[in-house]
Amino acid sequence: MSDSKQHRQLEAPGTSRSRRIADAIGRNRARTAVLAVLLFLFLAAMAGLESDQWFSTIMQGLSVGALVFLVASGFQLIFGLMDVLNLAHAEIFMLGAYVGWTAYTRFDTFIDVLIPLLLVAAPFALLPLWRALGTRLAAVGRWGRAAAWGLLVSGGVLIVLSITKFPLVIWDAEDFARTPVNMSVQIDLGMLEPLTPDSFGWPMVLAVVVLFCGGAALALGLTTLRSHALPGSVTRRNLTGMVGMIVAAVVLHFVKEPLNDWIFGLSTTWRFFLAMGIAVAVGAALGALIEVVLIRPLYDRPIFTLLITLGVGYVLIEMAREVWGRPEFTMARPAAFNGTGEGCPAEGLGGFFSGCATLVVFGSRLRVYNEGFIVVMGILVLVGVSMLLKRTRIGMTIRAGVEDPEMVEALGINVRRLFTQVFALGSGLAALGGVLAAPSIGLSTEMGALFLLTAIVALAIGGLTSFPGAAAGALLIGLLQQIIIRLGQTGIDLPFLSEPFKPSPTVVPAASIILMVIVLLVLPAGLFGRGSR
Amino acid sequence: MSLLELSDVHTFIEQFHILEGVSVEVPEGGVVALLGRNGAGKTTTLKTILGLTPARSGSVVFDGEEITQRRTFDIAAMGIGYVPEHRAIFADLSVEENLRIAERSSGDLERREDLIFGLFPDLRRLIHLPGTDLSGGQQQMLAVARALVPENRLLLIDEPSEGLAPVLIEAMIEAISRLSATTTVLLVEQNFIVASRLGQSYVIIEEGRSVQAGAMADLVDDAETIQRYLGV
Repeated sequence: MSDSKQHRQLEAPGTSRSRRIADAIGRNRARTAVLAVLLFLFLAAMAGLESDQWFSTIMQGLSVGALVFLVASGFQLIFGLMDVLNLAHAEIFMLGAYVGWTAYTRFDTFIDVLIPLLLVAAPFALLPLWRALGTRLAAVGRWGRAAAWGLLVSGGVLIVLSITKFPLVIWDAEDFARTPVNMSVQIDLGMLEPLTPDSFGWPMVLAVVVLFCGGAALALGLTTLRSHALPGSVTRRNLTGMVGMIVAAVVLHFVKEPLNDWIFGLSTTWRFFLAMGIAVAVGAALGALIEVVLIRPLYDRPIFTLLITLGVGYVLIEMAREVWGRPEFTMARPAAFNGTGEGCPAEGLGGFFSGCATLVVFGSRLRVYNEGFIVVMGILVLVGVSMLLKRTRIGMTIRAGVEDPEMVEALGINVRRLFTQVFALGSGLAALGGVLAAPSIGLSTEMGALFLLTAIVALAIGGLTSFPGAAAGALLIGLLQQIIIRLGQTGIDLPFLSEPFKPSPTVVPAASIILMVIVLLVLPAGLFGRGSR
Repeated sequence: MSLLELSDVHTFIEQFHILEGVSVEVPEGGVVALLGRNGAGKTTTLKTILGLTPARSGSVVFDGEEITQRRTFDIAAMGIGYVPEHRAIFADLSVEENLRIAERSSGDLERREDLIFGLFPDLRRLIHLPGTDLSGGQQQMLAVARALVPENRLLLIDEPSEGLAPVLIEAMIEAISRLSATTTVLLVEQNFIVASRLGQSYVIIEEGRSVQAGAMADLVDDAETIQRYLGV
């Protein structure tokens, strides 16, 4: 009752909608012109195609655009708010795919690794305590710092000692036959019995306690090295967080066998959705970790953040090589998008849920996973993140923080925490892109680099500071690339040429750059960017 | 006990020693004007209170609590509102969102609606416009209104009359004097006429040091001091 009254009071005298649209066009004449020209060119290119090809070309363009968008949007959110060019974004995309693959094909291993990690992370939940102790230790001076380094080293040793006593399936990246990928393939083919890990090398309680102490030593060492003015105090939330993680780890250990049986009994479709969730969570956690540990001390030095993210990228690539042990492998498409045989390919868009791998729409063959599922996920993320930015308080804070983080802080909002949250969000989106791309293009340690490059070009076209710009740029790039690839197959009739012109595949990346150059010449801030108009 | 007390504050911005000993006492209620020439360190004093440029030595005590080393958002959340010199209206947010973002608990804007729109009736008409579409005077009103959304105990207002037409300056003086009935204000003002009409007391800052403080009524008659510290 009172709510609606207040709402009415805040209402302004309405301006008509069409008038506002006309105003917007008038204000953005150059932008409108560029968009019109681009639309015309795309239509012209479409006119050169057979009718049964244009639909699949558009859908392929949307599919590539959706993946580029998932990379570009996270990169843009991070750059827009924090002015950090996160070059490790490509590797988070790659790791999203690798982690997703692991959770998808080897859920047991994922649980095996998760249990000790939870135990190491548990003491970090008591951050205020470590800060209070760390501040005291740091006050000692040189010996305090030495003690901190000692704690870090001993924490590392304790963790390594204890983790090896945990029952893990041992992969061997050195031995080709025992790399995780090959082992999984052999297990799936029935050539190898799934390895079940032995029991604990130590009494379980000892392993758990030593691991926890290792984590605590790490936490104290890290907080000592970074002085904190305000230690704060341990709250109930900190305690429940810590206890929760320990309990989760112990419970997981005791239920892991029935849990694994249950997961492997599920259809691959459900396992794929689970893998997506896990990849996003791991990507977000990794992003938050990178922000807190490496980027936060360096916000005043943009070149340093650039170099450090570049370095982190290389480290992640080498880690992936070391752990997964094979440069390239594939991921099976989930069952819902992989059906063949009776009734396939299905006719019409309704076939999306038929379980067929392909369907025929308007005479074009579409792959349900590539041109259907990926596009749907891209649209969902676009809508979801737009709503987040437009409708929620945190979205409002992000938009304000992009302009003036100092003022946002002066309003009483913890901008540093906002930075970490946005870093996690962006990294989670990249990881989602990776796990979505994996069944379509396969996994390799370099898979992210190409996407990041395309995404940066897309962002330059759309405007580096604009979220809708990221979507528009990614869409344009995706369509452009697929149209050129298709024209390369069919040829296009040009005036003054006797034969149809067939652009070669090498034109594809060049065309994106040319599009970028043309857009930037007319609109230096990109299609939706703000700044010089 | 005073609401805010700075004693012998020294602030560096990079290697530059900007504040070389500033002491300011702001009693609860009324308006204290920070006076001084351009570049004397008035804006830096406000930023030091908020922790945007933290003090290297000396102490800042707000409401009996030492806030010198606290982080900005923490300090602001204790009940300090800030109206910066460049206004810092978020262009990407509508007028309503510019007010909403200052809420510390949801519904703050509704609770303070009567006060805010009573002081600045024009804002109600502009509520759905984007921040960019406002004129300089409207932006200044919005900046002050934003600081009023949560129930702040102290407002730091930097150059409210700068760049405004005389009629708008008059409206701004009226608004600030009305809101100072309920909230304490620390005002930085270049325009001595405006400052003398609003402030009950003053502190003069000269080259990073607080050199003189007292009641505004005494300063108005002291032509020599005005000439010495504030004259061009």
